[in-house]
Amino acid sequence: MWSSPFITQPSSVSQIMLRVLLALIPGIALYVWYFGPAILVSIALASVTALATEAIMLKLRNRPIKPFLSDNSALLTAWLLALSIPPLAPWWMVVVGTAFAIAISKHLYGGLGNNPFNPAMIGYAVLIISFPVHMTHWLTPHALGGTELTFGEQLGYMFNGALPAGLTLDAVTMATPLDTLKTQLHLGLSVDSIRDMPIYGHLAGKGSEMVAIGFAIGGLYLLFIRIISWHLPVAFLAALFATAGVFHLVDPVHYVTPLFHWFSGAAMLGAFFILTDPVTSPTTARGKLIFAAGAGLLTYLIRAFGGYPDGMAFATLLMNICVPLIDAWTQPKVFGKKGGGK
Amino acid sequence: MKRIARSTLQTAINLVFFAVIGTAILASVFFLTHDKIVKSEEGEKLKLIMQIVPSALFDNDIIQDKLDVPASELLGTGGTSVAYRARLKGEPSAVVLEAVAPDGYSGKIALILAVRANGELAGVRVVAHKETPGLGDYIELPKSPWIKGFDGKSREVYKDADWKVKKDGGQFDYMAGATITPRAVVKAVNKALIYFGENRDKLFAANPPKKETNK
Amino acid sequence: MTLQEFKDILHNGVWKQNTGVVQLLGLCPLLAVSSTVVNGVSLGLATAVVMALSGAAIAPIRSYVPNEIRIPVFILIIAVLVTVVQYLMNAYMYGLYVVLGIFIPLIVTNCIVLARVEAFASKNTLLPSALDGFAMGLGLTAVLAVLGGIRELLGKGTLLSGIDLALGDMAKDWVLHVLPNYKGFLLAILPPGAFIGLGCLIAGKNWLNLRAERKRKSGATVIPIEAGCTPAMH
Repeated sequence: MWSSPFITQPSSVSQIMLRVLLALIPGIALYVWYFGPAILVSIALASVTALATEAIMLKLRNRPIKPFLSDNSALLTAWLLALSIPPLAPWWMVVVGTAFAIAISKHLYGGLGNNPFNPAMIGYAVLIISFPVHMTHWLTPHALGGTELTFGEQLGYMFNGALPAGLTLDAVTMATPLDTLKTQLHLGLSVDSIRDMPIYGHLAGKGSEMVAIGFAIGGLYLLFIRIISWHLPVAFLAALFATAGVFHLVDPVHYVTPLFHWFSGAAMLGAFFILTDPVTSPTTARGKLIFAAGAGLLTYLIRAFGGYPDGMAFATLLMNICVPLIDAWTQPKVFGKKGGGK
Repeated sequence: MKRIARSTLQTAINLVFFAVIGTAILASVFFLTHDKIVKSEEGEKLKLIMQIVPSALFDNDIIQDKLDVPASELLGTGGTSVAYRARLKGEPSAVVLEAVAPDGYSGKIALILAVRANGELAGVRVVAHKETPGLGDYIELPKSPWIKGFDGKSREVYKDADWKVKKDGGQFDYMAGATITPRAVVKAVNKALIYFGENRDKLFAANPPKKETNK
Repeated sequence: MTLQEFKDILHNGVWKQNTGVVQLLGLCPLLAVSSTVVNGVSLGLATAVVMALSGAAIAPIRSYVPNEIRIPVFILIIAVLVTVVQYLMNAYMYGLYVVLGIFIPLIVTNCIVLARVEAFASKNTLLPSALDGFAMGLGLTAVLAVLGGIRELLGKGTLLSGIDLALGDMAKDWVLHVLPNYKGFLLAILPPGAFIGLGCLIAGKNWLNLRAERKRKSGATVIPIEAGCTPAMH
């Protein structure tokens, strides 16, 4: 089941997953610092839902519950999903998305190791297709000043859908930096004048750029301890950078810099934590390069020309479908078989 | 050789025979249902028009009283569109125009709008769009009453700066998270009203109906 | 036709060889129009009528059609019947006609129609052929109704919405708001909902088959798939 060749030290699935969870912590810490603690509630809620769904599905499938439940893979799915959706998402959205991810996109395909699609990204896709309005309500970072919700008020919104009297959603939430970019470009503004808006910082969106750096740091740790191979993040980031770079060079008025793309949306989270899911990525080194570069290209195309502001999730899922094909292509030919030698 | 030719001929005749019978059946069903189909289609069109033109506004056969409108930048139409004229006792009371908002979130949004003779909007409806389901589709009537916000508005009362969503300092509502769609619709309606202002006489005057039928 | 034959044909069409969940034929309309019960049942019944009529039309002439041109002739007859149904719906159920749109003329290309004509009507007499076509159509209608029901209930919280399009304005109040104040789950209404829903229905049918097999304690659990037409999306 767990046969990816890049694992150099023998580790159990649960240990690896635990390290990956650990690597998410810098990003989450920065998230809390800039956007408040609501995200922790989301993560906790998603984790509980994921474990409960996992247990129910294992029972229905007559599988042993304890060993599978403690492999931490459901927890990782839950965390990644919670980190991909707005921290203020109502509780039922978190539950529906996580349950769908675990039950349908993981267990109906045969459980861990057999799922062709990244469960967290399926959960995200289900939510953005089904509840697009809620998926646009992102919290405004502290750095921008303005009205801020206390932790209690955030909980009130998540569980009761109620905001404090006199506040509208517009006052406490905003569109993501990518979404704003798209909307403003649509209105005919140039990239330069959009970047001058207060929501943008040095690299991309204020606050969210720092969270992206946090995820990148965690990702580098994973690279360092060799839990993930360099092929995936490097090919993804390089492809995203190159595509964005070409468009930016040709028409800097309408296309933002490649760095902006790196540090906005789910690019960093995706590069180090989502594409690197060993179950849903190719097994060969060459396959990984193709897979991740394709995801980078698609992410850019969806961001720049597609119907949704961020393309990470859909790009990942589209490339997930191609994995069997990529594996077949890049598998080294067995010696002695016809057509093996070049 | 002769036998092959004969069997080919026989097959061909056979096929022709079935084709003729099929065509005969289709032709007869076509003639039997044609009037009813035309009536249903007109009825449906009338239903749509009646939604935005109050029946008290006209007594003419509005479906027949139509006018070809050439392509216009203000209407956003790339080709000829159709305008229907509502008249009360022979006096023009309203006109139904087709307009296109070219800059929706995912492509064009087709609208029809009814403008009263005094330049006031009687109503606007979205006929076709490709906006995100659940996000930008609140411009459709059954999903939300948003589009009714245009009723009674005119360029007399609202100046250019008012023809924007509230987020941009205008007078029109929008839903948080989806502002591109209403922006496109408001802009298109405003432009269509400008078109109406410039072409009012042409829209009403040309090609008067041959005979008014009382309904 | 004996009573037993009658029962066999009906059972075969509606359950054993069900087009939607066993043969997996004609999936494109199945997936596209099953967003509500009314849409699903309307297209299902239209297909059933076409299938019954084409069975009835082709069985009596089967011996006069030379073998080498039978496919064009069958398609011609089916196309005529579909167009007739299309005209009638356009004239008398305009609202529904607009909703079902392209999928009415596309009944011609639904390979289940030609498959049954080839497999059954070209070898049997009029009555069994008409019954077979109708039973197959009913089986499809049943799947469309269940799938439409699931998707509509999950997606909008209603049942029978749009029934006034089929039965006229008097039916406007028949819509059942099963889940009042339901926020809606768009996924169920959109295409992915159709795929997931159909997958669940097929799984359900297989499960019932398995259970029946186990009860009978016989070995085979393989469900035969009708040959003659690939289960592609038509």
